[in-house]
Amino acid sequence: MPRSLKYALAVIAVLALLPLALVAKARVATSPRPRVHLIFDMDNQPKFKAQSANPLFADGRAMRLPVPGTVARGTLVPQEVATGRKGVQWLEVIPVPVDRQLLLRGQERYNIFCAPCHGYSGYGDGAVQRRAERLEEGTWTPVASFHTETARARPVGYIFNAITNGVRTMPPYGAQIPVEDRWAIVAYVKALQRSQWATLADVPKEVRPQLEVRMREHDGTR
Amino acid sequence: MSEHGRSRWVFPPWVNQLRVVAGVALVVIPVYLVVLVGFGASPRTTDVGYAPEQPVPYSHALHVGQLGLDCRYCHNTVEEAAKAAIPPTQTCMNCHARIRAASPKLLSVRESYATGMPIPWVRVHDLPDYVYFDHSAHVRRGVGCVSCHGRVDTMEVVQQVEPLSMGWCLDCHRNPDPHLRPPELVTSMDWVPPEKPEVYGRRLREQLGIRPSTDCGTCHR
Ligand code: HEC
Ligand code: HEC
Ligand code: HEC
Ligand code: HEC
Ligand code: HEC
Ligand code: HEC
Repeated sequence: MPRSLKYALAVIAVLALLPLALVAKARVATSPRPRVHLIFDMDNQPKFKAQSANPLFADGRAMRLPVPGTVARGTLVPQEVATGRKGVQWLEVIPVPVDRQLLLRGQERYNIFCAPCHGYSGYGDGAVQRRAERLEEGTWTPVASFHTETARARPVGYIFNAITNGVRTMPPYGAQIPVEDRWAIVAYVKALQRSQWATLADVPKEVRPQLEVRMREHDGTR
Repeated sequence: MSEHGRSRWVFPPWVNQLRVVAGVALVVIPVYLVVLVGFGASPRTTDVGYAPEQPVPYSHALHVGQLGLDCRYCHNTVEEAAKAAIPPTQTCMNCHARIRAASPKLLSVRESYATGMPIPWVRVHDLPDYVYFDHSAHVRRGVGCVSCHGRVDTMEVVQQVEPLSMGWCLDCHRNPDPHLRPPELVTSMDWVPPEKPEVYGRRLREQLGIRPSTDCGTCHR
């Protein structure tokens, strides 16, 4: 076989490895470049999906906001439930049925939306608060604790309104949390507050002995 | 024709070696092409690892991994809707009105907040428009985010870690057991089942009556 042919074959064999190497690289590395897309089929259809862009509108959103002052069908709730007040008075009693289900829902939602700042037990020592302290942020206001005298005296309507519209420097959460969940959180905050000032008399009779043993083991007093 | 010219039309003896070369090539080339196309055109090559640059250097590793925010704090529609909403600027401003309020990295967030124009986040995961996918159907039944999106809590930039091909969807719809967990733990990134995933998932599946459908109409409607 002539030399040149041998060389040519060798070069082809080596070049043939190149695509394989590129494929291997593409499989292990991440890339900010758009995905390789050979056959388009009907992958991108001329329709608008949730949160897609529409250049027809000035703000570029395909999803339109409801007209101010309107309520979407099926979302109308009584005024008191929606605002947490009756006339100008804060509600003192939660206007939805409170049961174990609601409290558990409230716990879950509290841990998602409030605990980052207020902390899991409500002392105002969440991860964001601690981070802000460490960063020595001048613009940050310390998070309120739920276990001060003033905080415990707050009516439920006040707490509901704090979630919906924010309070002083706390941001509003009305857009992120639906009304039912807000009341669930209020119920859970009330339960948290009670838990920190509870006496043995608050505990059902059946489980008291259990608790007494634990308490004696813990510090011997009470 | 001259003597010289005739010899040009006679195969020299080394040509016999080419029969071996051709034989080898006949076997190697098809195998090569199959391997190249099979691996090269697979979505694991073309789609997995896509990590587009975002307009704001937002990091899940910081906000989820370090600050411990739950996915639902931002992607708050994921349990009720088909779409896991990308958070509006207001959600970022909950904290960033006061934390890192002057950071240059957050300039476009503040701009968006002031003008009301949305931040142009770049889509990472994108199924073809003829496929119907629903987050709530999965999240409420106990398929964790981590099964489909990987360890988001360690990602500085979100990347696609699963192929999102029809075969991938069907693999799980045929055998969801290893991916199931109690529905209240779906956002936990490092949860591990207390026993073998298949055994634990199977019990959950029977308990909750989970039967993912493989009918075409489930995903193509
Ligand atoms: C971004 C951090 C942050 C989050 C998240 C947050 N809060 Fe607050 N909250 C604060 C700060 C800061 C204050 C104190 C405001 C001040 O005094 O200026 C506060 C104050 C309050 C108060 C007022 C206490 C009082 O007695 O006046 C209530 C009630 C409250 N928060 C409830 C909640 C609930 C319920 C949630 C969850 C839905 C929540 N907060 C989530 C930061 C936060
Ligand atoms: C502080 C708000 C926030 C939290 C908390 C958060 N995310 Fe995100 N997430 C975003 C934003 C903003 C984007 C869009 C920018 C990007 O892709 O990085 C995003 C993008 C994503 C994407 C890619 C979306 C696409 O375009 O395909 C996935 C997947 C995702 N998040 C999953 C999660 C998971 C899982 C968690 C919980 C472990 C989580 N996120 C928690 C704000 C958040
Ligand atoms: C619950 C509070 C909270 C929310 C909500 C939040 N962040 Fe942050 N973010 C922080 C904290 C705290 C830091 C500072 C961490 C540090 O530097 O140690 C931070 C840091 C950042 C940084 C880095 C800033 C710098 O100068 O280093 C960026 C960028 C950022 N966040 C983007 C976003 C975006 C975009 C969103 C909305 C999708 C968002 N954040 C929502 C708490 C939050
Ligand atoms: C069964 C797999 C699966 C699970 C579980 C899952 N996702 Fe997704 N996710 C997807 C797919 C597929 C897409 C692309 C959807 C599309 O293109 O229409 C997606 C897209 C997203 C997006 C981009 C916005 C959108 O909806 O298109 C976000 C954000 C996201 N997921 C967050 C989450 C979070 C947070 C969780 C957990 C609570 C989660 N996902 C659980 C498969 C999953
Ligand atoms: C990790 C496992 C897993 C993956 C991956 C997965 N699914 Fe599912 N899917 C499930 C489970 C579990 C259910 C719930 C079945 C039930 O409720 O009985 C489900 C339900 C669904 C439903 C709702 C069916 C109904 O009855 O309404 C749709 C639609 C769906 N999946 C589409 C998809 C698509 C499209 C993909 C791929 C992009 C995908 N799934 C990937 C596990 C998965
Ligand atoms: C669990 C969800 C699911 C089910 C069930 C399903 N598909 Fe698909 N199908 C998908 C997804 C996701 C894609 C997009 C794949 C991609 O992007 O590569 C797809 C793509 C396709 C395509 C287009 C392929 C292409 O690249 O052009 C066809 C055709 C198709 N499916 C037919 C079917 C038929 C027929 C059935 C019933 C036997 C079926 N599918 C059932 C999820 C599903």
